[in-house]
Amino acid sequence: MDINIQDLTHAYNSQVTALKGVNLRIPRGDCLAIIGENGAGKTTLAKQINGLLKPSQGVVNIGEHTTAELSPAKIARFVGYAFQNPDQQLFASKVVDEVRFGPVNLGYSSQEVTTFTEQALAAVGLEDQTEKHPYDLHLADRKLLSLAAVLAMRTPIVIFDEPTTGQDALHIQKIGAIIQQLKAQGRTVITISHDLDFCAAYFERVVVLRRGEVIADGPAAEVLMQVDLLATAAVKPPQLVRLALGLGWDHFAGTPEDFMQALQNK
Amino acid sequence: MAQLSLYRPGSSPLHKLNPLTKLAVMACCLGAAFGFPNPYWVVGFYLLFTLSLAAWGGMLKPFLVQNAKLILPFFLSLFIIQGFFYGGATVLFPLGPFSYTLEGVEVAFGFTVRILQAIAGMTLFIFSTRPDHLMLALQKHGFPHQAMYLVVTTMQIIPQFQNKALAILEAQQARGLETQGNLIVRLKALFPMVVPMILGSLIDIDERAIALESRAFSKPGPKTSLIEIPDSETQKILRWCLVAAGLLLVVWRAL
Amino acid sequence: MTKTIAHLTDFSFSYAGSGTKAIQEINLAIKEGELIGVIGPSGAGKSTLGYALSGFIPHFFTGDLSGNQQLFGQETSQTPLSELAGRTGMVVQNPFNQISGARYTVREEVAFGLENLGTDRKLMDKRVNETLERFKLASLRDRSPYELSGGQQQRLALASILAMEPDLLILDEPTSQLDPAGAEEVFESVHTLTETSSTTVVLISHKLEWLAEVADRILVLVAGRIRGQGPPREILTQPDLEPWGIGSTQYTRAARLASSAADTSQPALPVTLDQAVGFFKPWI
Repeated sequence: MDINIQDLTHAYNSQVTALKGVNLRIPRGDCLAIIGENGAGKTTLAKQINGLLKPSQGVVNIGEHTTAELSPAKIARFVGYAFQNPDQQLFASKVVDEVRFGPVNLGYSSQEVTTFTEQALAAVGLEDQTEKHPYDLHLADRKLLSLAAVLAMRTPIVIFDEPTTGQDALHIQKIGAIIQQLKAQGRTVITISHDLDFCAAYFERVVVLRRGEVIADGPAAEVLMQVDLLATAAVKPPQLVRLALGLGWDHFAGTPEDFMQALQNK
Repeated sequence: MAQLSLYRPGSSPLHKLNPLTKLAVMACCLGAAFGFPNPYWVVGFYLLFTLSLAAWGGMLKPFLVQNAKLILPFFLSLFIIQGFFYGGATVLFPLGPFSYTLEGVEVAFGFTVRILQAIAGMTLFIFSTRPDHLMLALQKHGFPHQAMYLVVTTMQIIPQFQNKALAILEAQQARGLETQGNLIVRLKALFPMVVPMILGSLIDIDERAIALESRAFSKPGPKTSLIEIPDSETQKILRWCLVAAGLLLVVWRAL
Repeated sequence: MTKTIAHLTDFSFSYAGSGTKAIQEINLAIKEGELIGVIGPSGAGKSTLGYALSGFIPHFFTGDLSGNQQLFGQETSQTPLSELAGRTGMVVQNPFNQISGARYTVREEVAFGLENLGTDRKLMDKRVNETLERFKLASLRDRSPYELSGGQQQRLALASILAMEPDLLILDEPTSQLDPAGAEEVFESVHTLTETSSTTVVLISHKLEWLAEVADRILVLVAGRIRGQGPPREILTQPDLEPWGIGSTQYTRAARLASSAADTSQPALPVTLDQAVGFFKPWI
């Protein structure tokens, strides 16, 4: 399902307007990173997509549905949201029960719930920790658990809010692999992230927000090279982009393997 | 509002008094509220003493607004209940089987005025005293600093709990948890809301304890303070007098 | 001959109620003024190491320990907490949890530690003002700590401990939860710290590029054991870091790929941007 955001404005109160006239079209299967400094409106935008916030003006459409008309719990059927802090949602006494919570709420059959749960846990590598208490897991694994909880909901659209904060390289790789998997399944994947290296490695499209407005929207290879533009949004380009710029290139974003490819082509 | 408090910043002479002195003023006001046998004396005290102090503190208008807000529910219920049900000889007007009596009105008046004076005394204190300054003053007089810490921190952190609760609510809603609906729906929603709150808070407490250790919180010995809470011999004597006056008034009425 | 600030000999520790050792057979000496970077995958025991060096183990965390633990030249377990107070401090990930909650303004928050130490008011006033200036918090002095951004709160946490002029400071992933602007503020503060004082710092972080620029030496911790220590460029370019889950900077990874593709011998792999530009210039 496509996401269509038209002229979206959101004001928290008379003084704070978090989003100003945002227009964004996210077709099905797109893989998009939203970047910008804290306070630019990234989280507000993401929460408009999953219905936790409703527009003050403008409209957010998901497929044929308008978010303003549905409760967040109903929108959860289409949009999964992995929050930054796993400790704000873990409540079950067993890992497996935590992951089952989402699909059960969405009304899936008992067989479906079991299948989805098993596959989600396997995707994050926690399949042999099913009986453990979530808080016996290290924080980094608790984050993977909260991701599994969202994956099990099998939503066509998935939003990741700062998935790599505080994670070591191994966990970042796992998360990257999950994103590749979701892409291969044709799902729409959106991330909010400060980790530019992560964005460059896994996301094809980048949207830059500054003070509630979209100041750039395009392919990662183009947007991430615009150092001055990114600086106005208090964002520094990814490491390899900085290297590319240092070597005089004008077009690059991606993984070290991509860099090698580009090096050989020059 | 970052803290849970009704304190109104200001630089009036009232604000500059030592918090314990203001506590003594409040004690005297409470004594006056319930002390004078005749409620008209309470009115006099309110108008002459309490209102003057509020004016001295540069807060007369908000003070009156706060008093009015708080006394209104008492005022209404007292005048209705006592008026109709106190019983008494002088009927002002009948209403069905009930009679609205003058004696009832007098009793209601008495209660109202005393409660008003009590509210006024507490308002004077709360509006002009920063909670952390009060705690510092108490600490200086020997109260354990851990207890003082507990009170001030609680007032600062409770508003933050609201933020946390909201974050948890959103996270669970995003997993399909319905929170609007009938009682059963709401009860079912309780567990996934409360557990993260408690467990999350325990983790926070752990980290805060480490932060406090890093600030030498558990080091025994006398503590100093950056802010000077002014005090003087005059104020010390004044405190004793105020508290004594409050007590005497209460005793007077009891006799 | 520089003083040894903290020393662990054959030290092992497991938390109360846990069967497994969080760290084992640690042999480590930290000298005054050093900035040691500690890297390792999640669960490797980095925080535990930080606690063991600074005296939080055994005074705050109980469990089974073996081996020798020295801090400021004395046995850590024999030194009462009151003597250690103000001499060691720890800054953790979550900025919010480090606000004491006991004070209403940034200025008083910075003074809180000094008040607990019973510092004379005049000296305290001076120190607080100097600290506020040093960490660029002066314009925020009358604001409530709860009104600050994450980066500002983290700077405040750092400033509040440094006002006490501790001898040892542990920073446990101080920028994990901050946006790049906030992280930058903390980077600058740590730079200021290293340039203006002789406080010994142990910095636990995943930000390898930062560590490469600021650390005197780097320690690698995997599954509770030290697997290597040495100069940043040497340690951060080791291929073992990948299977251990620690990773490398993108510069190192790209250079490693280029090196294995080429036949000729290559110079040392880069860790920072400047080193990477220098490395790749001959290729284009």
